[in-house]
Amino acid sequence: MKELSLHINDIIENALKAEATLVKLTIVEEPVQNKLLIKISDNGKGMPKEFRSRAMDPFTTSRTTRPVGLGLSLFEASAKRSGGSLKLLSKENVGTVVLARFQYDHIDRAPLGNMVSTITAVILGLNKADFIYVHRIGGETFRLDTREIRQMLGDKVDLNDMEVIRWVRGYVREGLAELEDQR
Amino acid sequence: MKTYSVDALLAHEKFQLANPGVETNKEIGSVYIGDLLSWVMSHSEQNCAWITVQTHINIVAVAVLLEMSCIILPEGCTPDEDTQKKALEENIPLLVSPWTAYNIACFLKEKMES
Repeated sequence: MKELSLHINDIIENALKAEATLVKLTIVEEPVQNKLLIKISDNGKGMPKEFRSRAMDPFTTSRTTRPVGLGLSLFEASAKRSGGSLKLLSKENVGTVVLARFQYDHIDRAPLGNMVSTITAVILGLNKADFIYVHRIGGETFRLDTREIRQMLGDKVDLNDMEVIRWVRGYVREGLAELEDQR
Repeated sequence: MKTYSVDALLAHEKFQLANPGVETNKEIGSVYIGDLLSWVMSHSEQNCAWITVQTHINIVAVAVLLEMSCIILPEGCTPDEDTQKKALEENIPLLVSPWTAYNIACFLKEKMES
């Protein structure tokens, strides 16, 4: 994949397919320490033990067995290619955690991509589920929690409402722009 | 094998310059195709036309480091905005083409041999 945000989208989609009601995305950029961390955790139905051992193998995750597709193997390849690694933790009926580490300045590390569009797309696909997005660069943190947004909106307005989405876009854009100075 | 120039390539309708203002009177001595930047860095050569689907800013760094003639993005890939700017700054012609890498390479081979 050309941008890491595509992997992120893919893994979050997995989480929602696994009936998660809460998905959390954490991105930590530490340029000084040459580290990039992407963590996606969910409270979905998790993977049975025997499936988990095969989850990273692109040849066993065929359509018949699957809560997961090629996403994990590609994400892992991406991480390994840039001097990093991918860790998968999953427990049935508890949830799943995907933790990818990258060497920040590795020449083969794909750029993060457009996080504003990515987050907007994720929120559009949530339905009833909630989403937390935490992005840290250096010492600064940006945070978004759809539970708080829903609370502000009350029951009458949907998260998918165009006005709301437009507001979210602006909020993420501004929040990330403030972080940029930390790079 | 004779050389061909970036200018001559741009005269063909299937190639467009993504960063106008850059110097295009450069000789193309060879062609290299690859998308894994670390691999390209250790295997391509000076004065080559490099065909890659990667569009992020690191491709400019690789082209500068190896003193390539130009970068060609195949199959309608478009460069990121900062890639375009950086390529102009560093004087690396950035070309886009609807053709596949294979078509582009065949075209260049033909031109470089005639």
